[in-house]
Amino acid sequence: MSIQDEVMQLRDETLASIAAADTTDALEQVRVAVLGKSGTLTAYLRSMGQVPKEERATVGKTVNIVRGEVEHALEHRKEDLSASELEAQIAAGAVDITLPGRMQQMGTRHLISRITDEIAEIFHGIGYTVESGTEIETDYYNFEALNTPEDHPARGLQDTFYVVDKSGAVKAVKGESDVLLRTQTSGVQAHVMENQKPPIYMIAPGKVYRRDVADPSHLPQFNQVEGLVVDKGITFGDLKGTLEYFVKQMFGEERKTRLRPHFFPFTEPSAEADISCGICHGEGCRFCKGTGWVEVLGCGMVDPNVFAYADIDPEVYSGFAFGMGVERIACLKYNVPDLRMLLNGDMRFLRQF
Amino acid sequence: MKLSTKWLSEYVNVPVGLKDFCDWLDLTGTGVEGVEETGAQFDKVVVGQILKKEAHPDSDHMWVCQVSVGENNLGKDGQPEPLQIVCGAQNFNEGDKIPVAMVGAEFGDFKIKKSKLRGVTSCGMNCSERELGLGNNHEGIMILPADAPVGTPFAEYMGLSDKVIDLEITPNRPDCLSIEGLAREVGAMYREKVTYPTYNLVEDADDATADHVDVTIEDPERCPRYTARIIKDVKIGPSPDWLVERIASCGARPINNVVDITNYVLFLLGQPLHSFDFDKVKSPDGKAHIIVRAAADGTKFTTLDGEERDLTSDMTVIATPEREVALAGVMGGLDSEVTDGTTTILLEAATFSPGHTSRTSRNLGLISESSMRYERKVDDRRIERNADFAAALIAELAGGTVCKGLVDEWPIQSQPAELTFRVPRFCAMMGADIAPSEIVDILTRLGCEVSVGRHKSFNVVAPTYRPDLEREIDLYEEVLRLYGMDKIPPTLPGGRERIARVSETEHIVARLHRTMSACGLNETQTYAFADPKELEKLGMDKREDLGEAVELINPINADQSVMRQSIIPGLLDSVAYNQSHGVADIQLYEVGNVFLGVAGKALPREKQRLAGVLVGKMAEKTWNTDPQPFDFFDGKGVLEAVIRELALPKVRFKVLEADEAPWLQPGRAAQLNAAGAVIGWVGEIHPLAAKAFEVNGPVVAFELDVEALVKAAQPARDFVDVPEFPPVTMDVAFVVDEAVTHEMLVQRMKSAGGKLLDTVELFDVYRDEQRLGAGKKSMAYKLVYRAADRTLTSQEVDKAHEKLVKKVCGATGAEIRG
Repeated sequence: MSIQDEVMQLRDETLASIAAADTTDALEQVRVAVLGKSGTLTAYLRSMGQVPKEERATVGKTVNIVRGEVEHALEHRKEDLSASELEAQIAAGAVDITLPGRMQQMGTRHLISRITDEIAEIFHGIGYTVESGTEIETDYYNFEALNTPEDHPARGLQDTFYVVDKSGAVKAVKGESDVLLRTQTSGVQAHVMENQKPPIYMIAPGKVYRRDVADPSHLPQFNQVEGLVVDKGITFGDLKGTLEYFVKQMFGEERKTRLRPHFFPFTEPSAEADISCGICHGEGCRFCKGTGWVEVLGCGMVDPNVFAYADIDPEVYSGFAFGMGVERIACLKYNVPDLRMLLNGDMRFLRQF
Repeated sequence: MKLSTKWLSEYVNVPVGLKDFCDWLDLTGTGVEGVEETGAQFDKVVVGQILKKEAHPDSDHMWVCQVSVGENNLGKDGQPEPLQIVCGAQNFNEGDKIPVAMVGAEFGDFKIKKSKLRGVTSCGMNCSERELGLGNNHEGIMILPADAPVGTPFAEYMGLSDKVIDLEITPNRPDCLSIEGLAREVGAMYREKVTYPTYNLVEDADDATADHVDVTIEDPERCPRYTARIIKDVKIGPSPDWLVERIASCGARPINNVVDITNYVLFLLGQPLHSFDFDKVKSPDGKAHIIVRAAADGTKFTTLDGEERDLTSDMTVIATPEREVALAGVMGGLDSEVTDGTTTILLEAATFSPGHTSRTSRNLGLISESSMRYERKVDDRRIERNADFAAALIAELAGGTVCKGLVDEWPIQSQPAELTFRVPRFCAMMGADIAPSEIVDILTRLGCEVSVGRHKSFNVVAPTYRPDLEREIDLYEEVLRLYGMDKIPPTLPGGRERIARVSETEHIVARLHRTMSACGLNETQTYAFADPKELEKLGMDKREDLGEAVELINPINADQSVMRQSIIPGLLDSVAYNQSHGVADIQLYEVGNVFLGVAGKALPREKQRLAGVLVGKMAEKTWNTDPQPFDFFDGKGVLEAVIRELALPKVRFKVLEADEAPWLQPGRAAQLNAAGAVIGWVGEIHPLAAKAFEVNGPVVAFELDVEALVKAAQPARDFVDVPEFPPVTMDVAFVVDEAVTHEMLVQRMKSAGGKLLDTVELFDVYRDEQRLGAGKKSMAYKLVYRAADRTLTSQEVDKAHEKLVKKVCGATGAEIRG
């Protein structure tokens, strides 16, 4: 057999092996065996010197053509094999995407804080600054400066926790004290009016305390948000409009607001604000006791006596104030069946929000 | 205040629709808390008429009647059809009107059913007075007047049905604590005419009141007016039904005719009265010398309810020269009360100072219908009328004779308030144009006298029964509430200088909340009340920086009788709550105030704290995660997140020794310092403390002071160039004595590494007694070398690293682990 024929035979065998290689590894073996340093085709290239002179040109050409063919076939086969191997790899890598993900456990915010934040954001948006005050307060700021002097019957409506007065001062009524747990965030009003000049647009969220035994609908410790506006030309209509804006933001555009005249010592005229019942939409149901309305907050125009305590001229300035219970809103928005859940730290409750 | 609409209707037209009436009460400021309907026991009892009366075929004393009940019984054709009723009474005739109990009516346990009496069907019962519970007469059935309308519910016909509205009367409206006042209010609400209660007093005794009684008021401030009347020869006995019904509708129970009349006048006119048994208060000279004076401190006095009470000089008593006979404005004395044997009544009608009355009732824990009204002020100008009204009624119902004249001490007369109502100012403040004619109309309806003043204003004289109308603004409120708040157009304030600001503290607290949440902690709230023993239980009682406990004077429970000095006990209680409910993995935090009392100071120091507890692990093991149980380093990690978020400078964790923090497990307790100040602590709660709180440990906890965090926080951080040239990383493991801390090694590395050392990170701690020796540990660090201005050569790094290793080994006795 001539060298020429041998090369052509090697070509046919090699192309057959390439076609038969079923992995990239096997293909590589074929490549090394044929084109490697001691590969069969490489051997012909190396032994070209031994080829008779007259055949050298022809054989050399043939070997080069065969090498080209082999390289081309190798490349083609490699592409095919890589594609199918990737395909197989992808097929093997499929997961059940319904399996749970690897989640970082985020903490949660307390429901009352969430609502307080929401209220603060609504009022922040219309230019109100958040103020705060201490929870242990003097009689003066909790009552007197709010036009609720000693012996005022309105005091009897708020069961006050009194604190032992370490200064040794004694009150006329046994069991009462000048130092107390604030019964309302309204005291912050008095402080702010004393320390700032109008215009004042503020809210004051915070804890307050009343002497109620804890049960599903009462807590001796709860949260209020107080609001106060003092500026020139503030009207009762402004109070109404502000509350309507708040209610729509907080409870939804479809909710209506109504004001019922009421009494608070530090505002006059005073009112309680109701929103249309979210369950029956005002038709009257058990939740709203058939009235179609549920109470959300108390409000009114700042009483001139309160201005007098803060040295603000009621002939120049007017203002309004409002106060709402955050727990009450929690009940209205989230149907919390038992307020005590808000204070026992039950993880199963806390992690719902 | 309970308002019987039936009683009210004697003085003013009561609107027909109850719901609309209640709504309008609500919307004009008299809150409705509920409605109670009486007369329900006469359900299914109607006015009937005997159409036919025939002898029972099988009885010699019973009758078979055809009784019309109007439309209450319809036949198949839809037309009214009489009921057949078998009746054993003999006192009636065809055509008589009678009360008929139809099928379904109930009298106690007895229910009317369709039945057969001796073979004849009976569909109801003709009722006697006794069966209806209206009297003892059961001689025969009750015969009603001929004009009684057939088919009308019996309760309605008899006026026995009533709707009692429970009203919330605000403290500024003492006038509404009476039926008369409410009639005036309803008249004003509906522009209805009001007929005020009238009386006819005949002073038919021969002698004058002044012959029997004189009155001395020692301190007019306490008692602006005191009047007395004497009614002789009364007969104490039960009150008539109508009177019992009236006072019962207001919630009082009947006692006897005289006491019931005083209650009746209290509810009708808002005037508290007191009736003394004259013979029990008169002096040996036969005359009652009434003295209104301060009680002597320490006096013991037994009130009507049988309680002995300790009086103070702030309390006012009604006394005779011999003794105290009543606690002014609050309650009478037990031994001068009217009893069955009383024949002469001394009737007190007075007014007492609101402040003294309020303090007396608060001091004694004794709130009465009287004290509630005096606290809110009783009008002194109407006392004479009220006393006469009561005397006339006593004479009428208890059969006495009234002595001539009123003994009347009236040292301080209240004057009607004269006010100016500036219409333009009012409209400007309301934000609405309200017509002057409307203003005049409303004020007049409320009993004010209104005349035109200067500069678009009105002069208004407010009636003395409205003590709340003292200032111009008080009149604004009145006009607004009857004009209707719903008519004011809603607007938003236009303030030009309105700017919402956020304080630094708010910013930082918000950031703390976000950090806690990112660390997987759940916010909670616990009680600010604390058990006085809890700090000791925890082992935190020796901390001097927590001040004295702030004690409540009137706590609800003994275990909530002080204010908390730390949030940790509350959180531990929450941990126990969770564990007892099967929740093992707990991550809680709270931001709240603690209260640190200061001796000699009225107000405590109030500090905001951030505290947290970690118990169990972050979550249950899952198919692809395996959270590890919490230990000290999880707590420290939370603090490190806070340090990063707030960019706290000069941070140092310092070991807390056992005596410094007895509530923490020694060796797992650290104090956090930053910017030279103490920020707080972190550690594992001492196993004994955890046990005392019935908590299964380990409990990782921390408590930080928010003010200290705010002070130390750096709001702005400096920019540092992002590295441009590649780092070279070298690993090294030092084998050191246990006493050598990570902090010491890091300090040495940093000082030896110079500028080229970029970061140091601990990646392994390894202990092996055999390979390393006892008391030794291997600390493996990854050191990153980098220069800001060039790529480091390996020679440079090798040189620096060699120097570092040498220095660290020299300073700490470390050996390099090969």
